[in-house]
Amino acid sequence: MSVPAHKDQAIIDNAAMVLTEMRALCKSLVYAALLTDDGFEVVSLPNSRTDGSRMASMASSMQALSDAVARELKMGTSEYIIIATQSGYVLQLRVPTQSLVLSALFGDDETLGKALSISRLSAQKMSVLMNPDAA
Amino acid sequence: MAEHVILFAGPMGAGKTTAIQTLSEIDVVLTEAANTERDVVDKATTTVALDYGEIMVSDEEKVRLYGVPGQRRFDFMWEILKERAVGMILLVNNDAADPIALALEFLEEFSELNNRGGVVMGISRSDVAGGPSVDDYSAAIRDVYPELVVPVFTVDTRNSSQMRLALMTLIMNIEARSAFTLNGSTAA
Repeated sequence: MSVPAHKDQAIIDNAAMVLTEMRALCKSLVYAALLTDDGFEVVSLPNSRTDGSRMASMASSMQALSDAVARELKMGTSEYIIIATQSGYVLQLRVPTQSLVLSALFGDDETLGKALSISRLSAQKMSVLMNPDAA
Repeated sequence: MAEHVILFAGPMGAGKTTAIQTLSEIDVVLTEAANTERDVVDKATTTVALDYGEIMVSDEEKVRLYGVPGQRRFDFMWEILKERAVGMILLVNNDAADPIALALEFLEEFSELNNRGGVVMGISRSDVAGGPSVDDYSAAIRDVYPELVVPVFTVDTRNSSQMRLALMTLIMNIEARSAFTLNGSTAA
């Protein structure tokens, strides 16, 4: 039985590095987490006031629901989820080829395009770090 | 057309998704994710948002079947889904560490469904390991909730006639209770 991602120190270290770089790229990033498909937080940005475990569970449910909608409508796979609010965006997407999800909250001073671009780059980087041979 | 919304609740591994797949007459909407808690319940995937199915129980009566995730970390889905439900089939796997305690925990968590409509309990996996009997469950429920009437069945969640019996028992309870309430208020 393999070690789950949220208990695998190498994955946790890589995830922490990716999120730290993500924050450096984007000052409006309020919160970000990498989580397992079934809702366990692997790592989140430090000093966040968000309840990481609860957010990880909710992000997992959202991801599964968006996948279900895409499947139901025969639209392929869900590439990302956006929740736009008055005070910012929640942006969420899968880490390519991994059972991991990146969920990030950006302030309202960020453009959606930049938020999406940074999130995609970070998810891609995480994928490469977890599977360097495929890069 | 009359519609009922019924929840399937209970701990991870009790067979909620299987029960809905057994009963549903439409393709079930599933929200499964790879299960990283194989040490808790050894199965490949787990429900992380909801399951959804439908069944017609008469020409004029549709039942919407919603399964909730079993893990407490998804209790926000419990809150969302129990708001629209009128009854619950509580499934508990008899080979769990303390299945009666689990049953009581879920009954308390979803108590408003019993107040609003009704609850039926299905004990699954009673054939794979020794565990409490139907009478043990009934007695424990009676001790804690003397005012509740909760029919308890052993079920194989893959068995259509067993699951249909549990579902129809719940629907009849809900309708009888509704008629009784209506008659009571008319007579008053």
